[in-house]
Formats: sequence, C-alpha cells, structure tokens
Amino acid sequence: MSTDPSQPTFFGDRTLRRVLAFFALIAAVLVAVVAISLHNLSRSIATSDWVNHTHALITELDALQPTLAAAEGELSRYLLTADARDHEAYRDKFAELGERVDVVAALTAGSPEEEQQFAAIAEVLARRAARASRISTLKKSGDAAALQQFLAEDAENGDQRELTRLIEKFREHQTGLLSSRDRASFQQAQTMRWTVLGGLGLDLLLLVGAAWLIRDDLAARRQAARVLQQDKEQLEARVRERTVELTATNARLAAQNLEERWAKQAIEHQNRYNLLIIDSISDAVFVVTKLMNISRMNPAAVHLTGCEPAELIDKPLSRILWLAGDAGPAKATFDPLARTLVEGHELRDKSAFVATKGGQSTAVRLSVYPLRDRDKVVGGVVVLQAVPPVSS
Amino acid sequence: MSHLSSASPSAAGAKPAAKHILAIDDEAPILDLLKEYLSSQGYRVSTAGTAVEARHIAEADAPDLIISDLQLEETDGLHLIEQLRALMPAKPVILLTGVLFDPQVVEENLKWKVSAYVSKTAPLQVLLHEIRRLIGS
Repeated sequence: MSTDPSQPTFFGDRTLRRVLAFFALIAAVLVAVVAISLHNLSRSIATSDWVNHTHALITELDALQPTLAAAEGELSRYLLTADARDHEAYRDKFAELGERVDVVAALTAGSPEEEQQFAAIAEVLARRAARASRISTLKKSGDAAALQQFLAEDAENGDQRELTRLIEKFREHQTGLLSSRDRASFQQAQTMRWTVLGGLGLDLLLLVGAAWLIRDDLAARRQAARVLQQDKEQLEARVRERTVELTATNARLAAQNLEERWAKQAIEHQNRYNLLIIDSISDAVFVVTKLMNISRMNPAAVHLTGCEPAELIDKPLSRILWLAGDAGPAKATFDPLARTLVEGHELRDKSAFVATKGGQSTAVRLSVYPLRDRDKVVGGVVVLQAVPPVSS
Repeated sequence: MSHLSSASPSAAGAKPAAKHILAIDDEAPILDLLKEYLSSQGYRVSTAGTAVEARHIAEADAPDLIISDLQLEETDGLHLIEQLRALMPAKPVILLTGVLFDPQVVEENLKWKVSAYVSKTAPLQVLLHEIRRLIGS
C-alpha cells in the first residue's frame, strides 16, 4: 500500500470500489442462488420420499382386495375339499392379508387422517377374517346346516362393496395428493430453473459491468500514461534545448571572460611598458596639465630636482623651473610655455634653470611638447636636459 | 588512390590529432590565458617562459605553430624565432607583442621572419583568426 499521501489508498480508488461492489453483488447473487437451490433440493428430496411412500401405500392398498379374494378363495376350496392342506393355504393367505394390513397401518401411521381412513378398511378386513374363521370352525365341526345358514346370511353381507368403496375412496385421496404434489414439484422445478437462469443472467450482467468498468479504467490509465509520457518527452526536449542554450551561453560567457581578462592584461602590460619607457629616459621628463601643473615626473626628474614626486605632483612647474632671463621661480614667466600648449606647437631647446631641493639652481635645456588626444591638447611633456658644466 | 582504399577502418574513422601550438612569453599570466583559450578551441598548447625551454619543447615535440613574444627575459623574440625556424623551417610563426609596430614596418621588415603579427591589445578572436588561417582548426 502506498505511503505517499498524494496517491489514493487501496479503498480510495473509486473504480476499485465500484469493481469490488460489483463482485460483492455477484457473490451475493451466487450465494442466493445456491441457497435457494439447496432449499429446493431438500424439498425435492422430501417430495420424492413422500411420493415413494404414497406409491408404496397405494400398491399395498391395491393388493388388499386381491389378497382377501385369494384368501376367501382358498377358504372356499377348503369348504369344498375339507383338505387340511387347503385349510393351511387359506390360513396362510389370511396371514398374508394380516401382514399387508400391518404394512399399510405402518405406512399410514404418520398421518392421523390416513390412519383414520384405513382404520375403517382394517375393520372391514377384520370382519372378513372373523367370518372366515367362523366358517372354518363350522366346517371343522361338521355342522353343515349351521355352516349353510351362516353362508346364506353372509351372502347378503355388503362388506365387499363397503371394502371396495373405502379402498377406492382412500386410493382417490392418495392419488389426489400425488397430483397436487406433482403440480407443486413442477412449480418448484420451474422456480428453481428461473432462479438459476436469472441468477446466472444477473451474474453475467454484473460481470460484464465489472469488465466494462475495468476496461474503462484501464483505458483512462493508458491515456493518462500516454499524456504523461508526452509531457515527459516535451519536458525532456525543453530541458535539452535549454541545456544547449545554457551550454552555448556558458561558452560565450567563458570566451567573453577570457577576452576581458586578455584585454585587462593587455592594458596593464601597455601601461607598464609605457611607464617603463618614460622611466628609462635619462633626461628629466615632466608631464604637465594645460595649466602647467605637474602630473608626473620620471626618476631622472627626481634625481635632477632632488624632490620626491609627492612633493611636486599637482604643483605648478613654475615652482622649480624658469626660463633664462627670468629673475627666478617667483618671477618666472611661463607665458611662452603656456602659450605653447594653448597654441598647440612645440618649444625646443630653450635655456632654463631648475631649482633643486638644496636651494641651488641648475642650468638645463628645455623642450616642451603638447600632448594631443584626438587633435585636442590635453597637456604637455616637458623634457629637461642637464647642461654639462663648461670646462675651463 | 589504392593506399586510401586499403586504409584500416579504425584509422579512417579515428579522430584527427589536435594541432600543437607552442606559446613563448616571459609573463606567466599571458601563457595561462593563451593556454586556456586555445585549449578551449581544440588545440594542444605547450608553453615556455624562456628561450631555452622553448627550444627543448620544440626539439622534443615539434609544434605545428609557434606564438612568441618579442621581449623575452634573456633574448630577443625575433632571434629565438630565427633559431626555431632553423629547426623547423616550414612551421608558421606568429609574433604576439605589446610593442605596437607600424603596419608598414611589419610588412617591410618582419614578413620574412614571421608569418603574422598580432598585437597583445587586439582581442583573442584576432589571434584565433590568424591561427586558423595558418594551420586550420
């Protein structure tokens, strides 16, 4: 059983519940049909026993009169022959009659009505047996006149007619019961047939219904699986596309990153190289702004002035440099130099003086070159060459 | 054409070996960047920081193309290129340097010594274009 709360439990599945209900109904119908069939079977067995019993009763009943007739026939023979063997024969026959009466009495013992009906028959038979015994006694006694008188009186006796009537009536009663029991059995058989057929038909319908439900559910599940598979394939395709896009983007970014790092190192390398070039020049080099403030100086300039870059950067060049003819740094006229930058032309090889940190001044040869960026003067480069002292 | 038809299936279907490039520069970050970039483009890259190292690599595993800086620690890049050219005359050489040459200077003075000149300030794509032009992908 799934432990995932999002999945339906065993009895939470609607289709499964319906199928189970169908099978429960099928089982119920089956059980009902079996119960009814068993009940009808029991009744059929009981009916069959009763029918056998009734047939046995009728058979014995039918045999009573012939047996009586045979016994009275033997009596008549004895009356004629007076033979002991005939006497024995008539006694055997009446004994047989008595046994048959006992059998019928036993067969009717279960029904008070039948018992009562047969009691009348048994009474007549008993009278006939008593008559036969009286006749036999008279014959043995040899009193022929008494015997003749008795026989004459007996001839008007209606016992035979009475017996026949009683037996017929009893027989008809039993036959009527057999007929009604036959009809009941037929009805019962029909009922059982329709019960079985109906139950079978109902079960088949329920089975078809359950099969339809299962088929319907399977179709729905297959459709859902197909849709899920399609969604999965679409998702995988999108993932693949996205992966390709991301891979391409990643490759582009990696290449871009490499280009950026390359450009950065190229700039750094170029700056470093340019600085190296300027720092390697033996002449003092000052880079100035358009206003003639110092923005950079090379090691040769440091050596010449004795000042560190921190002392002169962003200070006017006029603080340490003046043209020859000027009275000194305080009165330096940088009009020619400033004009050079403004006008954008060079000034070469002019005499000038540099003030050192120690307070001395050093003669130099001055050149000024405008710095151009896209034809616009953005500053200048001032190069000072030390003038060697004149040897005498 | 018979030798082509008799070539073994495994050899015919085998992937061609990556082209070998020897990069020479005294700055390790430059060599690292070159190796990373050119390897990503499918080349096999060897790096050398000195002329001695470059010669050893060239003798042991002849490159298909040489990229050299101009300014090396103990020698001149063009001089090293001449020495390497003596070992493998047919191999193309690219001069990769931060020193900005005048195109006319390159055309007149360097074309006999190098197959191409690329400035270090140019994008890597330019270098790659020259490499592909000289030895293919």
